[in-house]
Amino acid sequence: MKKIIIITAMIITMASSAAFADTIKVSVNGLVCAFCATGIEKTFKKQSAVDQVNVDLDNKLVTINTKPDQKLDDGTITKLINDAGYQVTNIARGK
Amino acid sequence: MRCLKLAIPALILTTSTIAEAKPISYVDGIMVMQENDETGHTITADYTITPNYAIGWYSKEEENGKRFSEHGPEFNSLIKRWNLPDGQVNIFNSTGAGVAIDGSRNRGMAWTDFLADYETRRIFTSYEIKAMYADSIESSIWQRARVGFAPYAANYNDVATWFMLQVDDHPNKNDKVVVTPIVRFFYKTSLLEAGYSSANTLMFNWELQF
Repeated sequence: MKKIIIITAMIITMASSAAFADTIKVSVNGLVCAFCATGIEKTFKKQSAVDQVNVDLDNKLVTINTKPDQKLDDGTITKLINDAGYQVTNIARGK
Repeated sequence: MRCLKLAIPALILTTSTIAEAKPISYVDGIMVMQENDETGHTITADYTITPNYAIGWYSKEEENGKRFSEHGPEFNSLIKRWNLPDGQVNIFNSTGAGVAIDGSRNRGMAWTDFLADYETRRIFTSYEIKAMYADSIESSIWQRARVGFAPYAANYNDVATWFMLQVDDHPNKNDKVVVTPIVRFFYKTSLLEAGYSSANTLMFNWELQF
């Protein structure tokens, strides 16, 4: 019984943490090659709030998954993309 | 001197004729490029310090004319970039100074180089021009243009393939105008390209980014 309670508590905790992880889809102008993508990927991976980054050249989209309970605001995202040499056209958020 | 009188506004990157090889990558990124063609053998290493500036080292063994070597630090800048929905336009400059070595003769040298390019995922065009002054060893202006196409639009995890045509105009070389068909492959941060020129020379270039 005690084990069931502990496991249930762990599942609830994990589920609740996952609920606070953000998936951010950033539309970017100027993405034409893997070199561009690597620059953006490396830039975002240096951020402590970022768990995963995926660059989709076909859709000109950078998808950023944040770590549980970590935030990355639009201003920071825009600055990081600009510093990598590209231009943000839209930022969409979802869980 | 004759070349200097031509006084064309300068355009490129020091080193690289590798069209993809822009002289600036991403902040803290290191690029190493090496090329071998009818003009000689070049190696360059650059470190990007800000989104618009990089510093590096350029060395070249010149052939197909006067044989001498050039070595020196360079400063690269992104003068302007236009990010388009389906492409990118860039203007870069690379300027450096160092020493030219011709046997036992050493002379101070300086160069400036501009590169302008337009690329989408399927089309590539570039023009670059480099002016070099090495006192009594050599002074020259060199131009290069490239056009290319990709048979498919490679995504991030794909190997990209390009077919290109390069035209060089280097009046100080034995072969003054040289045309080179090129095939290029790159995967993420590694690039290889090879071609065979109208001067009957093999071209082989590579680039790595870290």
